[in-house]
Amino acid sequence: MEQPLLEMRNISKQFPGVQALKDVSIDLHAGEVLGLVGENGAGKSTLIKILAGDYRADAGDILINGRKVYFRSPSDAAEMGIRFIYQELITLDTLTVTENLFVGRMPRRKGLGTIDWKAANEGARQVLQRMNIDIDPRTVVGDLTVHQKQVLEIAKAINKKATILVMDEPTAALGEEDTQSLFRIITGLKEQGVGVIHISHRLKEVFEITDRVTVLRDGQKIGTVKTADADMTQLISMMVGRELAEFYPKRDLPLGNTLMEVKDLTIDGIIDRISFSVRTGEIVGLFGLLGSGRMNVLRALYGLDDTSGGQIIVNGTPVLISGPSDALSNGIGYMPIDRKLEGLALTLPVSSNITMANIDHIGGGFVLNRRLERQRAEKWVEDVSIRTPDIGTDANSLSGGNQQKIVLAKLLETGSKMFLMNEPTRGIDVGAKVDIYRMMENLCEAGAGIVMISSELPEMLSMADRILVIAGGRVSAEFSRQEATQEKLLHATTL
Amino acid sequence: MADTLHIEPGLTPKRRGRASTTLILFGVLAVMVAVFSSLSKDFYSFQNISTMLTNVSFSGIVAGTLTLVMITGGLDISIGGNIALTSCLVAYLFNLTPPVPGWALVPIALALGAAIGAFNGFFITRLDLNPIITTLGTMAVARGLGYVLTKARSILIMEDVTGFIGRTVVPGIQIPIPLILFAVIFTMLFFLLSRSKFGRKVYVIGANPAAARVSGIKVKRVKFILYLMSGIAASLSGLILTGQTAVGMPQHANGMELDVITAILLGGTALAGGKGSILGTLAGVLILGVLYNGFTMIGFRYVHIRVFQGVLLILIVALYELRDRKKY
Repeated sequence: MEQPLLEMRNISKQFPGVQALKDVSIDLHAGEVLGLVGENGAGKSTLIKILAGDYRADAGDILINGRKVYFRSPSDAAEMGIRFIYQELITLDTLTVTENLFVGRMPRRKGLGTIDWKAANEGARQVLQRMNIDIDPRTVVGDLTVHQKQVLEIAKAINKKATILVMDEPTAALGEEDTQSLFRIITGLKEQGVGVIHISHRLKEVFEITDRVTVLRDGQKIGTVKTADADMTQLISMMVGRELAEFYPKRDLPLGNTLMEVKDLTIDGIIDRISFSVRTGEIVGLFGLLGSGRMNVLRALYGLDDTSGGQIIVNGTPVLISGPSDALSNGIGYMPIDRKLEGLALTLPVSSNITMANIDHIGGGFVLNRRLERQRAEKWVEDVSIRTPDIGTDANSLSGGNQQKIVLAKLLETGSKMFLMNEPTRGIDVGAKVDIYRMMENLCEAGAGIVMISSELPEMLSMADRILVIAGGRVSAEFSRQEATQEKLLHATTL
Repeated sequence: MADTLHIEPGLTPKRRGRASTTLILFGVLAVMVAVFSSLSKDFYSFQNISTMLTNVSFSGIVAGTLTLVMITGGLDISIGGNIALTSCLVAYLFNLTPPVPGWALVPIALALGAAIGAFNGFFITRLDLNPIITTLGTMAVARGLGYVLTKARSILIMEDVTGFIGRTVVPGIQIPIPLILFAVIFTMLFFLLSRSKFGRKVYVIGANPAAARVSGIKVKRVKFILYLMSGIAASLSGLILTGQTAVGMPQHANGMELDVITAILLGGTALAGGKGSILGTLAGVLILGVLYNGFTMIGFRYVHIRVFQGVLLILIVALYELRDRKKY
């Protein structure tokens, strides 16, 4: 067998009180995409941080082209041609595309040493062309879409000679279409002999793009399989260490009365006369591409975005919602798309996060009843199965899946009946996903209604009772669960 | 899920809480008192401790409310200007012919503080302006108006009501009124911040304002109330200072922002918001008070202590920063 491009041999790493990695080995060949999967806390990030030189392994070696290397800092790794793309983008938003690409090494004119803008923009144009992206290099990066920024990060990473590209959840913020165009870029890199490590929670993508997959669980390597020989069930059971009875615990629940009715909801220039209704026990999916306006519908219903027209009727009574507190007092709760941005106060304890949207009801009068708060928090930690040492732990130190469950618990604590969920399982591991699906079903059984946005098609097709496709700010089609297929949904986004 | 609760890797219970930081600070305070007592016979006398605490009350009251403002991630540096203008206005009104009666001076002063606080709050919450810049502007305006009002002179004010607030010592227990005000206000702020619903909202806003909004917390209203409180507290301090000095002058409380902010940061409040406590600020205020008083007692001059204080401020911030940045 040929010499691997990268080998990490018998890597171990201990954090205070936790063995984060134990004797883990991986190898990566040139022109190959290696998937790295595992639940949150399995050790993927630690492994990658050791490769990047952010952490130092307690034991084990890193070999590049068969030669041992020692990374003391991220710049050592960069010097070896290892590039990293993280989920959180680190673009310089107030500068142009060109400046982002050549940051630190802008071409200069001879003599005075001033920046040679013509050469810089031309160089940037060439880089972008090679990547098949159509952006004016003089655009200010803050004006780009998430996908364009991501592509820019990749362009920046491989602009300097790259031999290994490591991508940590690169598709977390992307829709279906942008993911596909990212994959075309990865395929192109493969052909140039770059070795790619791809970390993702979206198993469908892992099957689409990787050649081999390494599975980690609880800091140990469970195994490496050829993607072509593996199937989804096998991979999931390797990751969670048990068989998941059913990935989508969807039940056929009877639907009740109309819970919420939306009539002609309009935001000038963004959404146009959107009408739909939700019954008790029902999950209504809103499907659409980025920029279709589906998120604005949810945000407007919760009072986060101003509307220019329309009516919201809850339990037969028209209500006026001019802010989140109005929505909450009408029994409408919202789960934001980004738990770190809008969901949690990460530096506060789990208990404070759970009661955060219900502070006014924790005890009567002016005083916050701390005993009641503890009781409420403990109840939800158990009911939603949040894995935390205790309710006083900072939300910060929990895994993504458990943080997402806190957001759900916070929503449940408000006692809402109508739930607006914006990507309820974004970026979390399969075990936590199933827990959240199960909670959604339980809510429906208890007479709640849910409006859900998801850019994961299988999730949408399996969990929603009814799917509205939003395109260009309008409802372009509506399908029942039985009618809906991937093709029909994608087709309707073009209508 | 059916399986038992198990701790995932990466989960170590973190309880480096406010309590422990505060405890350390009070320990430091005790050590300082012991050291100064051994260095100077006069330090540990009832007279000196009482004087020191009275001096501390005046900046401490402001530090208390400013702690809440800073926990939300805000800042109010108009406090010094507010205090100066309050003293000037009170002295000016009392020296009119006929003089504005003493009983009316207190509500007028507090109304002035409330107006300055509301002004700050309006621009910071409604127009979303930067709190440092806004209150820097207000500071200049307030102090400037003080100069205008007094024609840049000191105005003597020998008046009973302000004198009572600033100078009276309660007979029997021998405790000065400013110290009582300080104690009452700190007790109230302690319960407000750590036991009330409002206090919880203050923390949530500081930790993540966007999440606070999504959680239905009226972020702007809470912040507005805090700036209002800060303004009122400053004018109360202004009354105390006017009473203590029997003078209204625009140079009052010059540079006191430094004292107050040093004390608050020393007490463990994060400049970025979301963290801090009233007991921490109390420790910070007392440490700073003992520092000034103690060093003066053993023969240092004010200007030297000032240099030391500046260095101390930077050291504190660096220390807390390093602690929070601790990585593996």
